[in-house]
Amino acid sequence: MVSQVERSAVQDGPALCARLAGFAGFLRANGYPLGAGDLPRVLETAQHVGVFDGASLRWSLQSLLCSRGEEWRRFDALFDAYFLRPNRTVYPAPGAKADKPTSIAQRSDSDETLPMAERMSNDDGDDTRDARHGASREDTLKSTDFRDLDLAGQAREIELLMRRFARRLKQVQTRREARSRHARRIDLQTTIRNSVGSGGSPFRVAWKEARRVRPRLVLILDVSRSMSAYSFFYLRLARELCAALTDVYCFIFHTRITSVTDALRDADPWRSQERLHLLAEGWGGGTRIGECLREFNRLHAPRCVHSRTGVIVMSDGFDTGEPEVLANSLIELRKRARRIVWLNPLLNLRDYRPEARAMQAALPHLDWFAPGADLNSLERLLPNLIEALR
Amino acid sequence: MNAIVDLQRRLRDANYIAERSLAAALLLMLDLGRPLLLEGDAGVGKTEVAKALATVHGAKLIRLQCYEGLDAHAAMYEWNYQRQLLAIKLFEQDDRPVAQKEQDIFSERYLLKRPLLEAISCAEAPVLLIDEVDRADEAFEAYLLELLSDFQLSIPELGTIRAVSRPLVVITSNGTRELSDALRRRCLYQYIDYPDFEKELAIVEIQAPAAPAQLSRQIVEFVQAVRRMDLQKKPGIAETLDWAAALLRLGISTIDDDGAERIVESLSALIKTRDDRAGFTRDVIARIAASW
Repeated sequence: MVSQVERSAVQDGPALCARLAGFAGFLRANGYPLGAGDLPRVLETAQHVGVFDGASLRWSLQSLLCSRGEEWRRFDALFDAYFLRPNRTVYPAPGAKADKPTSIAQRSDSDETLPMAERMSNDDGDDTRDARHGASREDTLKSTDFRDLDLAGQAREIELLMRRFARRLKQVQTRREARSRHARRIDLQTTIRNSVGSGGSPFRVAWKEARRVRPRLVLILDVSRSMSAYSFFYLRLARELCAALTDVYCFIFHTRITSVTDALRDADPWRSQERLHLLAEGWGGGTRIGECLREFNRLHAPRCVHSRTGVIVMSDGFDTGEPEVLANSLIELRKRARRIVWLNPLLNLRDYRPEARAMQAALPHLDWFAPGADLNSLERLLPNLIEALR
Repeated sequence: MNAIVDLQRRLRDANYIAERSLAAALLLMLDLGRPLLLEGDAGVGKTEVAKALATVHGAKLIRLQCYEGLDAHAAMYEWNYQRQLLAIKLFEQDDRPVAQKEQDIFSERYLLKRPLLEAISCAEAPVLLIDEVDRADEAFEAYLLELLSDFQLSIPELGTIRAVSRPLVVITSNGTRELSDALRRRCLYQYIDYPDFEKELAIVEIQAPAAPAQLSRQIVEFVQAVRRMDLQKKPGIAETLDWAAALLRLGISTIDDDGAERIVESLSALIKTRDDRAGFTRDVIARIAASW
């Protein structure tokens, strides 16, 4: 690789090379998943399209270096920020259509076009961002300290419980069939294939049965003020579950809903905290469950809820919005999902009755409604939860 | 830049309206020999890119439609067991050595080529379209990686088959599942959005030449307005063209004052879910039409 870079450097001039290489580094600092192997390709691309044709270079590098929609939409601004002098834009950002349905996590990233270094310094006071979601008096701009996420206490127990949960999660039967060692149906194709070696006599019979796959899980966590005693616990559960299973999507909501799957999956705990910190603006504010679920249906459900998805909502059901909105959102979600389970930590309290209006509105549309405030109660629930998601 | 404009023109000749950035990506795909991953909502014309590319290069289009449970056999190759068994029976009378018979039975004659194998054994580079890769499971994605990085397949009985010519690979995804980073890293990437007014008008003009100019404009304006509404299923380009065809079929040459009535009759070509349909009352349509 080094020799390749050096060869290009001889042709293009070292200053130009460094400039292009710096761009890859700049994108990496802004969260693009680029590696050392991308650098020679950047130079190769620049050689192909030429560096004097700005538009071609922009499009080619965009195609080369982006790998998902969210990166695609941010690229133009970053390109301008790096290659153009400050306060000069020649290119009307075409991806910046306001009504394009993107996840909120992506959107809040996409209008942060500042370089990473500057972004870190002003992330707290940036309250103009995403104004149409945050128009509520119940919004808090306060973020929270995620160091608790790595506290040692109970970490091992949570991990074990979630692993056990993942292992025992009943697999849903699909219509397609797969080979299997013990089954009742003969896989004729493979049997004949096996018999070719023995001159057509089927000595080794192959079997097949319906394929089973784990249901996909979508976790929707309430992190509003009323849930503050439990939200960290649930977030830790979610993180362990994300580590144990591949097909898990996780969202947090208060007055708006945000995907935290990527942040939870980040292998680097420090960076994971940092990303959660950026996402968790509004943590501990008011709750609008109904509107958040409607938002979820609109933005995220088409992508991540399918007919084998179990949706787990973890919330106390104290909603400041209209209960009809919640009921309608749940009805719509029911059409897409396989099961909806609602875990309510307050149900553990002796005198609690689910009398909140929102809870009353939600109850008819749930497959299972259960308590779950701490590890012990979840432990007891596990068999039923697995059964409910089946 | 000239090359980009030139390719854009040739795509237009193949009835595909491409943005310059897409043309640039298609050129780069040739230069670097990498697959192109297209993402975007359903109905924005991702599959059409591959078809137009095949037309432009005069290449064969080989299409692999992905679905859940797609396995290596259905995508790469399969032995033709029935013929092999027949051959074994026929060879019984034959007195050639066994090794030779065996070699004969596992020769390419008895190999059924599925799209991926077919794509790498074409003499002239074809366009390989791997459609809706997000529907296939992750295991299949891993198979695909081997093919995309080396353009070779290994068949245990036959050995490794290398690509005779490097196919142009176009992969599309609707985003129903997050693709692996490994796959993304091997591909060039292009996000295709819903077309803006000018682009969509150009598409309608090129695909439905029978429509009068004024009707085309009205159709596109209406569809653009519909897309801005909060719908479960937004109409794609295919829906626009269907609707244009439906209006032409109904003998409508312009949407005038009593146009709302006509629009209602043909709306089934544009609006595809019950809830969305319920939202399209006469008032709503009249309001959209009035804003022209």
